[in-house]
Amino acid sequence: MAVDTSIIGKPAGARRVHVERGPVEFFATALKDDNPVYHGAAAAADAGFSGIPAPPTYSFVMGHPGAWPDDQPPDPTGGSHPGFAIIGGLMREHGGLVLHGEQEFVYHRPIVAGDVLDGTSVIADVYEKEAKGSIMVFVVTETVWRDATGSPVVTERFNLIHKRKA
Amino acid sequence: MTPVSSSSGFAIRSRPMTTPAYDDIAVGDEAPALVVEKLSRTNFVRYAGASGDFNPMHHDDTIATSVGNPSVFGHGMLTAGLMARVVKDWFGPEAFRRYQVRFSKQVWPGDTLTFTAVVTGKREESGERLVDLECKATNQDGVEVLVGAATAAVA
Repeated sequence: MAVDTSIIGKPAGARRVHVERGPVEFFATALKDDNPVYHGAAAAADAGFSGIPAPPTYSFVMGHPGAWPDDQPPDPTGGSHPGFAIIGGLMREHGGLVLHGEQEFVYHRPIVAGDVLDGTSVIADVYEKEAKGSIMVFVVTETVWRDATGSPVVTERFNLIHKRKA
Repeated sequence: MTPVSSSSGFAIRSRPMTTPAYDDIAVGDEAPALVVEKLSRTNFVRYAGASGDFNPMHHDDTIATSVGNPSVFGHGMLTAGLMARVVKDWFGPEAFRRYQVRFSKQVWPGDTLTFTAVVTGKREESGERLVDLECKATNQDGVEVLVGAATAAVA
């Protein structure tokens, strides 16, 4: 079965996130990162940051504490992420496994506590590979996070895999 | 290497370090390695709370074993976050320009992970001096659990 590539370029979500110091510090602690910039305003300022910075992988999780339900943009997908719809369909048809295969971040400037960031996601790629007796369908979602001035802050690529026996 | 224990449960070994200058970096140079000893379920649960990822495969042994796993296993992004520290601790928390990871194998409770990064290139782009690195995490059996690439801006 060929994978449906017509979803490439389609919207995959929009989200506004408030970046707050407490969750950033809690995240740094979960990574056992005792770098003082994550734990004190003076150390962050001394290192040249305009606020307490977030660790490099924070943007992947920041919607968890920061996507306030009363401050969200309209959903451009109509309630259905087109990539998750494909993977959900494969799970129903074949069973199998869903895996987080790869993750990429491109940093335009550091995320700091106090930022309010708007993320817009699109399907960047969909492809299928067969190897070692498995068929894998890859869905790549790209999210660009922009600050209040509209400048890009971080671009993320999230590669989700559905894996099943060939 | 000095062993350090911490209140959050990781035992971490790493060398004291200072940020190197661009001109002092050569292709093939290795970042000071980071060793995280004996990851625990508590470490996974703490990461679940911090990230909001409550997939039961990472904290509920009953559910994880019911689908054929020997136990719960760690979040890939926990490994990725620890990996990022090697580059960040070497070049500073403001240095990251790009970071990419691929998850090769699962991480189990009790695993001791070694995180390494090696310089693969140096270049100047958009007025910045950039260092490219290849990143790798391996477990106590030498099995690779994560590979990745990073680019850092270096003065």
